[in-house]
Formats: sequence, structure tokens, C-alpha cells
Amino acid sequence: MISVLIERRNLRMKSNILRGVFEDNLRVLGRRAAPRWGTGFTLSRKLLLSLCTAVVMVLIHGSFPSHQWFPESQIRAGLLYRQPVGVPDLRGPAGALSGEVFQALTENQEVPLWRLLGMGVKTIMIDPGHGGRDSGAIGTRGTMEKDLVLDIARRLKSKLEVYDDYRVVLTRDEDVQVPLKERVELAQRHQADIFISIHLNYLPQKPINIIETFYFGPSDDVKTSRLAEKENAGSEIGLNNFKEMVEKLNDELRLVESRELAVSIQSSLYNSSRKHGSDIFDYGTKQAPFVVLLGVDVPSVLVELSCLSNVEEEKKLNTESHRENIARYLETGILDYLGRNKGEALYGASR
Amino acid sequence: MAQADKKLHIGIDLGTSRSSTAADNGEKRWITSYVGWPKDFVAAQVVGKEVLFGDEALENRLSLQICRPLERGIIREGIERSEEAVKAIIRHLVELVSKDSDARIHAVVGVPAESLNINKLAIRKAVSEYVHSLMVVSEPFAVAYGMGQLKNAMVIDIGAGTTDFCIMHGAIPGEDDQRTNLNAGDHIDEQLFSNLSEKYPNATFNINMVRQFKEQYSFVGDIDDEIKVEIPVDGKPVMHDIKDEMRRACESILPALIETTAELIAGFDPEFQAKVKKNIILAGGGSLIRGIDGVLQEALKEYGSCKVTCVDDPLFAGSLGALKLAQDMPASYWETL
Repeated sequence: MISVLIERRNLRMKSNILRGVFEDNLRVLGRRAAPRWGTGFTLSRKLLLSLCTAVVMVLIHGSFPSHQWFPESQIRAGLLYRQPVGVPDLRGPAGALSGEVFQALTENQEVPLWRLLGMGVKTIMIDPGHGGRDSGAIGTRGTMEKDLVLDIARRLKSKLEVYDDYRVVLTRDEDVQVPLKERVELAQRHQADIFISIHLNYLPQKPINIIETFYFGPSDDVKTSRLAEKENAGSEIGLNNFKEMVEKLNDELRLVESRELAVSIQSSLYNSSRKHGSDIFDYGTKQAPFVVLLGVDVPSVLVELSCLSNVEEEKKLNTESHRENIARYLETGILDYLGRNKGEALYGASR
Repeated sequence: MAQADKKLHIGIDLGTSRSSTAADNGEKRWITSYVGWPKDFVAAQVVGKEVLFGDEALENRLSLQICRPLERGIIREGIERSEEAVKAIIRHLVELVSKDSDARIHAVVGVPAESLNINKLAIRKAVSEYVHSLMVVSEPFAVAYGMGQLKNAMVIDIGAGTTDFCIMHGAIPGEDDQRTNLNAGDHIDEQLFSNLSEKYPNATFNINMVRQFKEQYSFVGDIDDEIKVEIPVDGKPVMHDIKDEMRRACESILPALIETTAELIAGFDPEFQAKVKKNIILAGGGSLIRGIDGVLQEALKEYGSCKVTCVDDPLFAGSLGALKLAQDMPASYWETL
């Protein structure tokens, strides 16, 4: 009997691996496998769960569309799924839903509630820094930051678009100057759910190569403040916007989520880059007063992908494969944040 | 026209130094991963072929523009001939084993892990012209699958361009389960070339000769045998003792090998680390270095009890693993791709 069970377990493992290989290859072709409901989650259970959700909604609030359990910004940002550790429960008046049904819904790991309800991050905005007359940093071989970040942003966009679930918008898709204020407005106009600004660092005093990711907040670090001052130049945000800006400072929720997004991106970028480059240093995630991050209402980060001042890195950045890799690492970081780790989402693999 | 009911499964190991192929019709072949095209009209007349492969290409290299497409484990971008060479090798490997041209060919191709990361699409494009359906996987994963080591195992594939590390944990390995470094066979060749140039400045030899010395005599640790090879000096054949130089060159890959192995194990679920340490498998041409399993096992002792073994047939372990994957893959998957 035990040997039969072991045999069955091995067969299941093998079948998962084969499916993983298949899905991985499909993904390279830009296609996706038909959804698979695991053995523990049959279609009938899925329907039952959906029905329970609808019934609970009607009982408590009378109608589905008017419910206000969760503020819209939280729902769009996928907060219902990713509750950060050590942060108070931000899921609205969950007490109103106390009971076994709510527990069953929220504890279902296979289909997170926000996904079950068809909610989640819909629009991802990628912001390639600088552009037009503002070339950003320039390497010793004449490589311009504005060109590299635009190329990486385009690659990232096409990668994320493979997942049909996301609309991916760039703040600029050509070599034009876009003031920071306009970038913020673009995020609002397109109802972006997360905002990722990508830049390259320039440290002429140090021959090193570093990766760091910022989210909005005060900084007492001189280097970070200088960097923010440099990136904030030409924001075109006037003092008439001051009050609105200060009000946003208190948006703790956005801060928590921005930090989570920063951590996901930084760890993916650093860990993967380390495998391919010997002299990369992890400068971690930090708070910094970047205007573009303050202006955007949703989780937002600014990533300094690597250092254009580093001669070796500049050479590598001029190769397509390196830029493609960086885009891939960014993609993994974003998917991790969205609770859709490539490994888990596509392979059903977890240790 | 391919017949829908006739299928041929092929496993291919596309390596930097050697490539092998195996099919479920029982055919098994390998070539050195060199492709050569005649340099000009005269060369074309001399060699009598449009393209030459493997050892034949090496023998005629003075008449050929020669390409080793997966140098350092990846297809060099922008070098058109690298992509063309990958295509030519694949076509050749498929033709070597697919005698029945009517069958639908389902191929699984194992490539160096680094190449899988960087050139996945390029490899697919190169291969897809010659097969009906195709999957690309990393080399160490193919080896592990072929050996049935799907869980709590670590495969270290010491190739020519790269050494690929892969931990198997019952699922397809993700990025965190794999590592790649460039301390592999080509690195040993460069070290040996440099060591010999230093010790015998008057001897004339090239990297190809050095590679042959390595393939015949490589070792780590202590051995009693002498290692003497013939190298010309001023045109006269002279025997040279290369034992110390050979040991130093081969042992130059050990520090990175040990460090990466320990690091990857340390990052694994602590509950299963002991099991993985007891199941470390060396594959690739580097597993043929005499004494490497024992030295690695000894070096890893400080991390606890370890067991390191070598695959029986490093030349075909990858292609047979890829073939097994191809055979086990459900038909519906092949149809979709």
C-alpha cells in the first residue's frame, strides 16, 4: 500500500515537472497554457466558492456594486492578497464579514480573493527616466542614460504584456522630454495601479557598480538627497501644488506597499545580477524624496538599475543581452510583488 | 510530408565543446561542436563540402572559417555565424539520428543554463526549422531527469564554457535553484596553456593541443603516474613532463566549484540540506577529471557528510535525459507547441 502511494506521488511529481517544462517553453513563445485547476480545487468547488461570495455580499450589503469593504485604491493595488507582515489589517471593516465564509475566502491560498473577484493590478506604468534634451547620466563611451532606460522599459513592457491581465503603459515611448509633473499626470490619467520609474546611477568618485531602489520618504543621507535633487530637477511642480503634496505624505498605506514593491524589485535585480556580474553591490531599498514618487497615488518606486559610471557596466549595458536580462529581473520582481512568482504561477513549483 | 502517426523522439545535448544526440529508434551520436565553412572557392574545392562538422572541421581548419558557436555557454549576439553555426549543428545532429524522414520529430534540447537564460528564443528559432515540435531545457536539469533524480539532488554539469549547478526539489528548478560560473573546461585549457608557456618557453603548441592533453591526462589531488607529452621544440619532437602544470590547471576550478556548491546547498530548505549533500552528481566532460569526485567530497566535509558521484556516461547523459523527457511528455503538449 505504501509503495503504491509513493509511486503515485512520484508520478504526480513527474507530471508537474513535465507540465512545468511545457509551460516554460510556451512562455518563451509568448503564449500561455490553459488554466489548470489542481486536484484540490475542482471546478465545482470554485463555483461553490463564487456562489458563497455573491450570497454573502447580497446579505450584508444588499447589492454587489455598491459595497465599500475595500477602498478602490487598495483593491486595485492587490492589497487584499498581500498583507504585509507587521502591518495592521488594512482590509477595511473585515469584522462585518466575520464568520467561517469570510475565513474560508481569505484563507484560500489557491485562488486569492482579489483574483477570485476579478480584481487586482490592471495597469502597470513604467517610467523610463529623462529623455529629449535631458540625457541623464552619460558614460565615458558616450552612452546616454535616457536611451538605455527607454530600451529596458520597452523590453519590460513586452514581457509583462505576455500576461494578458495587465495593461502596461510607458510614460514615454520615444526620445522626448517629459516633465516630472506630466509623468505624474499620466499615471493618474491612465489610472495606473503601480508605478515603476527606472534610472541608472552615476558615481564618478567610485569605480563600483551598485543597485538600489527607492520609495518615497524623507532621507538623512547626503548622497540620497543629492540624487533626489538631481532627479527632481525640472519637475514643473509649482508651490500651488504644495498642499496636495503634503497631504500625500500621510498616505501610510501607499508607503507600505511601495516598500514591498521596492523590496521585491531590489531583491530580484540584485540576486539575479549577482549571478552574472562579480562587482555588483546591494545598496538595498531606501526612502528618498523623489517628487515623481510623491505625486503618484499608487505604490511607486524608483529603481537605479546599475551604474553608468562603471566602465565595465557601461560596456555590458551596450549589449542587448544585458538589457534583456535586466528587463527580465525587473519582470520577476514585479511578478513577485503581485504574488505571481513565475515559478509558482506557471510551474506550480514551490519548495 | 510527415505522417501524423509516426513520431520520432530526439534528445539533444547542445554543448560548448561536444554535442550529442539520442533518438528512440536506438541511434546515438556525438560530434565536437565545431562548424566550418570553406574560406574561399579554392578551399571549397579542397574540402569538397559546403559545411564541415566536428573533428572533420578541426582537421581542415586551415581551409575553413571555423566557429565554436556556444563559446562560454552562450550564442554570441550580433555574430551571424554563431547563430548560423547553431542551426547547422542542430540540423546535422537531427539528420544523424532521424533516418526515417517521414516521422514527426519531437525534440527536447538541453543547453547550458546560461544560454537558456540569454538565448532561449534564439535557440528555439535555430532548432524549430528542423523539427516539428520542440522544447528547450537546461542541461543539468536534463541530466537529473534522465537519472530519475527529481528530488533532493544536486547536479553539477562541468562543461567546456560553463559549470552549471542545479538543485532538484521535485519541481522544475527555478532561478534560485541554479547557478552558473565560467570556471570550466575552457578555463582549465587557458590555465594549462599559460602554465606550459611559462615552464617551456621554447616549446611550440596551441590551445587545441593543450585541450587534447587535458582530455587525456586531467586529474586533481595526488596520482603516482607520470604525465609526459610530446611537444615540438625548434621543429624537433621533445617529451615534456606536464604533471604539475596539469594538476594546477585542473585544480584552478575547484575553489569556485566548492564555494558555489556550498552556497547553493546553504540556500536550500534546511530540512532537506543533509539529503542533498548525500546526492551530489557530477556530469559533463569535467566529471572525467580523475579524482574530482573525491576531492570535492573531501572539501565539502566541513559542511557535513557528503557523497559525490559521477555520471556513468557524461557524453550522453544530457542527450539521454532530454530523450527521456521527450518520451515522457504527453502528446497534447507536443501538439500545442
